[in-house]
Amino acid sequence: MSHFHHFDTLALHAGQTVDGEFGARAAPIYQTTSYVFPDTDTASSIFNLERGGHAYSRITNPTVAVLEQRIAALEGGSAAVCTSSGMAATFCAITAILSQGDHIVASSQMYGGNISLMKNTLPRFGITASFFDPTDIESCRNAIQDNTKLIYGELIGNPGLDILDLEGIAKIGADNHIPFMVDATFNTPYLCRCFDYGANMTIHSVTKWMGGHGTAIGGVVVDGGNFDWGASDKYPTITDPYAPFSGINFLEEFGPSAFATRIRAEAMRDIGPCMAPMSAFLLLQGIETLSMRMDRHISNTMAMLEYLTNHDQVVWVNHPSLSTHSSYAMAKKYLPRGAGSIVSFGVKGGRDAGKAFIENTELASHLANVGDAKTLVIHPATTTHSRIDADALVAAGITEDMVRLSVGLEDVADIKADFENGFRAAQRIVGA
Amino acid sequence: MYFDVNGKKAFASTGGKPFDNSLPVVIFLHGSGLDHAFWGLHSRFFAFRGYAVLVPALPGHAHSEGPALTSIETMADWLNDIVESLDAKDISIVAHSQGCLTAIEFASRYPERLRSISLIASGLATPVNDALLDAADNDPDAAIDMMVGWGFGPVGHFHQGAIPGISMVAGGRKLMRRNAPNGLATDLRACNAYANGKQAAQAIACPVQVLVGGKDRMARSKASTELIEHLANPAVSHFPDCGHMIPIEAPNQCRSQLKDFIFLNNPTS
Repeated sequence: MSHFHHFDTLALHAGQTVDGEFGARAAPIYQTTSYVFPDTDTASSIFNLERGGHAYSRITNPTVAVLEQRIAALEGGSAAVCTSSGMAATFCAITAILSQGDHIVASSQMYGGNISLMKNTLPRFGITASFFDPTDIESCRNAIQDNTKLIYGELIGNPGLDILDLEGIAKIGADNHIPFMVDATFNTPYLCRCFDYGANMTIHSVTKWMGGHGTAIGGVVVDGGNFDWGASDKYPTITDPYAPFSGINFLEEFGPSAFATRIRAEAMRDIGPCMAPMSAFLLLQGIETLSMRMDRHISNTMAMLEYLTNHDQVVWVNHPSLSTHSSYAMAKKYLPRGAGSIVSFGVKGGRDAGKAFIENTELASHLANVGDAKTLVIHPATTTHSRIDADALVAAGITEDMVRLSVGLEDVADIKADFENGFRAAQRIVGA
Repeated sequence: MYFDVNGKKAFASTGGKPFDNSLPVVIFLHGSGLDHAFWGLHSRFFAFRGYAVLVPALPGHAHSEGPALTSIETMADWLNDIVESLDAKDISIVAHSQGCLTAIEFASRYPERLRSISLIASGLATPVNDALLDAADNDPDAAIDMMVGWGFGPVGHFHQGAIPGISMVAGGRKLMRRNAPNGLATDLRACNAYANGKQAAQAIACPVQVLVGGKDRMARSKASTELIEHLANPAVSHFPDCGHMIPIEAPNQCRSQLKDFIFLNNPTS
């Protein structure tokens, strides 16, 4: 039988050819803007997309390419394009296939930046969105319009943690010949490979668990290579000649990687949100240990869930691994290794108690990030989701007493001890 | 572009330029279960160097109407129907794997318009083991995994490669899943049944080039050696680190060899 390398091996080796000149074992950091061409024919071939190669680091860079190919390998995607951030990845992916007059059907439970992009920014360019309840996939089907060109959601919704029914949504997409794009930041390919369940593209903020150490901002779009762009005339940016590259037809030339190549040829050239090679190097170091870190994130999360659900100062705890969560069955199905390391909970005493809790933890860092090796806490209503309106807050499942916890890799006994300090401070508020 | 062959709609990529039959022609033939997209970039290179390029998807593959053709001989005739309908002249064929069998058979049947043949990863025959045939019939995804697993050398399996961001293994899987449900099985049975390779190879009159992968587990060195022995003075290039998928695993080196050979034997004016 055929043998394919397994996840942990790919996490260490995929995408990297050992440097032929000096034999560097780590992926070298190619900190260069541009590349010397051996001759004019090679140069023109690269510029005309007749051969792979590097011309200018806004478009491709050898260090970034290692990261792209490694992530594509881990996801089981045909190609990947890295970007300067996760939001850049989302913007580039959407605008690669949607134009003025087109429409997105998106989950209502998403990171505030995603919601703002679709609710405020994209409409200025004529791209509109309708939002559906991720716990009710029929609401997704019902939101589809004649001009709908994309279905978008987060597998683990932020911050309500509802789990998207990937297969159900993918079927709705297939029934209507609409691609299904998943923001897979919270799950990483270690916890779920979304293409195995019918998703067509994934987006990651690799800043989070993929990189895992809070040292570099980055994003990636992964092309699942499994959407039949040519089955209708709905996606001309993929199926029709593209004048800026001598009339190239991305579907004809690149087949399963047509979508990713369109992003590289257009967005990276005309918009330019490229990833820095140093960032790619830092993120590669993180990915090398992805599976081990995720296992520890999950085991610490399970320990914290037990601690929080039994704590007198906690009003409620929300995580898809809890049998009380509405997405418990979905989590078992799509995330059998664990449903991520984000936990939300309510501190007894409401907004002020929550604030006191956060201000009196020391090990847990109060900041606007998730997926760091270190434990993080934040109050979403006043920070990450502060710019969306009250209705959207409710739709996103955010309450004023909510604390969002990103469980880190510390010894869990120390996290609990730190939280005890926070709860004691919160209790003083309640008692006051 | 789409055209009719014997009343069926067929698709061929033309490398990004309209097909112009006044130019010398390069035809790319794909292997079992693949389609025109296998030749992306290579086809574009020649189209922008003064050649009319034709990269057909066999019937039942990608956008060409089925059913899939059941024998190599039928594929050679189908190719000739295209050549005649387009009035293509001064033809160089670049073929991979199963496409090589078709090219050999075509060359022996219709030698008049041929100027050169480039055969990549092939022998005189392609015997297919029962396990793969059975999987192709009953579990196409398993068959695709077998072929992708055997087809790529270490470069493919480590998702390396010359095209930034592309995963060869995953891309190969997705490409093969675009065929009609029985497309792969029909291709493999056609390969398995083909027995005229020796006679057809000996009848080839035009210059022939053979590209051999040192780590090819599907067309092993014994098979490629036999092919070379039955050709008249072929130009042989070895790719020691490549598996069966030379055009994808080492695209730049492969194209360099193709370019030198085709420019020499089928020059543009």
